Amino acid sequence: MLSPQRRDQLTGLALLAPTVLLFAGLIFYPMAQSLFLSLHKVSTLTQRTQYVGLANFQALFADPAFLTTFFNTIVWTVGAVLLQLVLGVAGALVLNGRLVGRSLARGLLLFPYLLPTAVAVLVWRWLFNDLYGLINHVLMSVGLIAAPIAWLSQSPNAMITVILVGSWKFFPFVIIAVLARLQSIPESLYEAAQVDGASRWAQFWDITLPQLASVLSVVILLRGIWDFKEFDLIYLMTGGGPGISTQTLPILVYREAFQLLNFGRGAAVAVTMFGFMLLFFAVHIWATRHHETEGR
Amino acid sequence: MRGRIGFALYNLLVWCLVVAVAFPLLWMIGTALKPNDETFAIPPTLIPAHPTLAQFHRLLTDTPFLTYFTNSVLVAAGTTILVIVIAVAGAYGLVRFRFPGRSLIAHMVLFTYMLPAVVLLLPLYLIISAIGLANSLFGLVIAYTTFALPFALWLLRSFIAGIPLALEQAAMVDGAGRLRAFVDVVLPQAVPGIISTAMFSFILSWNEYLYALVFINVDERKTLPPGVLTMLNQNQNVEWALLMAASVLMSVPVLLCFVFLQKHLTRGFGASSVKG
Repeated sequence: MLSPQRRDQLTGLALLAPTVLLFAGLIFYPMAQSLFLSLHKVSTLTQRTQYVGLANFQALFADPAFLTTFFNTIVWTVGAVLLQLVLGVAGALVLNGRLVGRSLARGLLLFPYLLPTAVAVLVWRWLFNDLYGLINHVLMSVGLIAAPIAWLSQSPNAMITVILVGSWKFFPFVIIAVLARLQSIPESLYEAAQVDGASRWAQFWDITLPQLASVLSVVILLRGIWDFKEFDLIYLMTGGGPGISTQTLPILVYREAFQLLNFGRGAAVAVTMFGFMLLFFAVHIWATRHHETEGR
Repeated sequence: MRGRIGFALYNLLVWCLVVAVAFPLLWMIGTALKPNDETFAIPPTLIPAHPTLAQFHRLLTDTPFLTYFTNSVLVAAGTTILVIVIAVAGAYGLVRFRFPGRSLIAHMVLFTYMLPAVVLLLPLYLIISAIGLANSLFGLVIAYTTFALPFALWLLRSFIAGIPLALEQAAMVDGAGRLRAFVDVVLPQAVPGIISTAMFSFILSWNEYLYALVFINVDERKTLPPGVLTMLNQNQNVEWALLMAASVLMSVPVLLCFVFLQKHLTRGFGASSVKG
């Protein structure tokens, strides 16, 4: 007969068993296989594998196209995260204050986050359309530009457009995280500052921003991770083009593995990305720990 | 007096910006209601001069849209049901039981939630092809489990942790076993959390594009995102009004969930892992 304590523990394990099995089979086993494939040459026809050591990685890092792709990924991630931060903090401040129709405004600002990426892309591609797009039409009719701009098919434009659309789609995350924190800043801090005659601007820099610092650092990490791995939005906006000027690492994985059928090399890119994820994740854990011990 | 005018001006300014952010959505609806010849009219109009549902009608009768829609519903609902059943048990196990490796599992959950889909894409594709599920909706459900399960576990964990332990203990003192207490006491308390987790999982699966693009190569099994995007790339002359009608219909289920989910957005966006 098992002791009640022991039986309780077994119940717990039984409840967790399906989760653990699915994680093992669908996440950890494929992760290991990615690693395995990245060290092999895979024949497209027979899928026979041949161990090649780090050759896939060496070929990758020596390829200028990979370096461009890596650089694009950094530009996209940094650009999108920064713009999201500015828009998100501004949105949160507005929604935290007095505003007529605040809950409607909140809904309208937050909705893009849950909108299917495919829909966001379709609408924006229609707005940015070279010939019939509303944006070119408006800019031309107010005289800002003389001829239609190729928003998505010319080189620096495409990256800028993608960053703009990505920020529009993902900035609600920053709003929601910052808004939750704003509501817990003690009102007394602002009252004291008002007594001292501090301007609104000074209150923002000296009270609000320092209070938000901890949230913002975690928001930067999370959004950084999520934007770093974003495939759908960029691929659907530009397909990585023109040329490879908006190709990011996830798009490269897809191309190598499923368009060029170069499984080993695709896996090598994926594993490289995974290495960066580990780094991000380590920083995330370190930051939250650091913060908990420092906080209280 | 000056304060009041200032407040009115401030509101006007803020609302202009809010409308600017929401504008693409209004433009989508406006275009979807236009007849074809109005789509490319110059100057463009936001509100159609002759609003019509013709695009919706054509979408449902002349294009495979309805097939894509049905497939999307099946995959998203299938994923949600599978994931919720497993995650409710798993989350309860994680929250209420002490055993070695518990915090390791919790960290793993968060970690896998952030894992890039492309890292798993190739091996999952090989596995799913090997077991003969390529081009099947069930294969897609299996693939979606890889992101929906960690997400649901993470969310449910926080909901279940919020249920007072005393209720269960009272039931167990009264002679109910652990499982009885779970079914009779915890589950009913967790219903709101389970419903919102289900809705978020549904949206995640509904919106997914990459796995659907890679795993499904036959038109009659495609889900909405790759299906509708195929419609965009098929024609030389893009029928934007038709595509906007498709976008509107694709957004409706998400909008319905969104309205119900207002209260839980902080958790559902994943922002609850942001500690402040």
